[in-house]
Amino acid sequence: MINDLISKKDLLDLTSISYGQLYRWKRKNLIPEDWFIRKSTFTGQETFFPKEKMLERIEKIQSMKENLSLDELADMFSPSVGDVRLNPDELLKRNIVSKSVLDFYLAHYGDIQEFTFERILELYILEKLLQSGEINLEEGKMVLQVLNDHYKEGQSAHSQLLFIRKLGISSCLMVSNEESLHFEKGTRVVVVLSIATCTEELKSRLL
Amino acid sequence: MATKNKLGDLMINGFGTASGGEFDQVSINGKGTVNGDLQCHFFECNGSGAVNGDIKSEIVKISGNAKINGKVYTTDLKVEGRGVIKGNVLMSKMVISGTSFVDGNVKGEELKVQGKIVVDGDCEVEAFKAEGQFKVEGLLSAETIEIYTYGESRAKEIGGQTIKVKEKSNFLLNLLKTVKSVQLEADLIEGDHITLENTKAKVVRGNQIIIGQNCEIDLVEYKETFKTEKNGYVKESKQI
Repeated sequence: MINDLISKKDLLDLTSISYGQLYRWKRKNLIPEDWFIRKSTFTGQETFFPKEKMLERIEKIQSMKENLSLDELADMFSPSVGDVRLNPDELLKRNIVSKSVLDFYLAHYGDIQEFTFERILELYILEKLLQSGEINLEEGKMVLQVLNDHYKEGQSAHSQLLFIRKLGISSCLMVSNEESLHFEKGTRVVVVLSIATCTEELKSRLL
Repeated sequence: MATKNKLGDLMINGFGTASGGEFDQVSINGKGTVNGDLQCHFFECNGSGAVNGDIKSEIVKISGNAKINGKVYTTDLKVEGRGVIKGNVLMSKMVISGTSFVDGNVKGEELKVQGKIVVDGDCEVEAFKAEGQFKVEGLLSAETIEIYTYGESRAKEIGGQTIKVKEKSNFLLNLLKTVKSVQLEADLIEGDHITLENTKAKVVRGNQIIIGQNCEIDLVEYKETFKTEKNGYVKESKQI
């Protein structure tokens, strides 16, 4: 949530991409519209970008454009999800989720044979949190409940999932726009996960 | 009034009102209003038509006067008369030989302006070619931008790979120039290869820049090469 900005000129210098490429990527929606931040400077208006996100995105595009066409890349970065349906075996085979986490999920929701993208994303996030050891199984249920109730496709594209803990009591929340959050002194923010990043990671695995 | 609904065609000849839906061909020849979204293979408006909804059609042809209070999705959009579109336009190919007003954004592959187009939002295509008048209130972005200045044209920002602006002159235009400016005006032009004539801009940035006749540029920032030709005027230039 740090808003470190970089100007268009500096960005092009740093990444050695051209204006043509930048505008092409923008047209293909590889770079979201709301990353273009306009500010007035002494030379008139200039465009700025969130530095870290932008550099990361450009690196990704450059490393992947050899194998994928721009349109395929655009699909990957777009927050809307395609029609993906997988069964539990495939999920395990593709290493999206581990057996123990999948069993836990199935025990919680009952037997599911077909996973939609939404459910796979839930699983993926759960897997990530549990494997990192940052939360325990009981807390995992909490995360699932939050995701299940508040994740809406498209609308949650820029949301972030936060997991906090204070004096051993934990809680989980979802923040839909990136504003600064302030917590009480003793509160420890355990995890901050961006839904968009998770979606991208998951998509690159599903491809 | 003759509203026929045969074999999935919608025809309005004379005065008529119809509701939207799915059709093979939709043709408005008199004064017709369609209330609701239209989905068809071919849409044509020869008279005065209004559509209160979105149009999704392979071909959209406006030869008369049409007002679309919604979005337009099409592969081929032709405006020969006067078209007013209140929403966004998503197309593969768009040719304007009449007048067109778009209140939203225009997005697609190819846009050719021989008449006049006014876009209130952004205009993002792969190939943009203008031999008429245009006004883009937001960003005009394309892989190749080719502009022949026939009338007063304006875009807030122009960005792309190759940007070429050429001055056209003939007797009538020269006469017109004495009373009205026929320049291209922009706040900002950014591209890799930029060749300008008859342009007034605040900032021009790019790799290779040529500023030609009748140009008035406040600031040029270039990476590789920069030169001015004829009476092109640049207040300040710097290499970055």
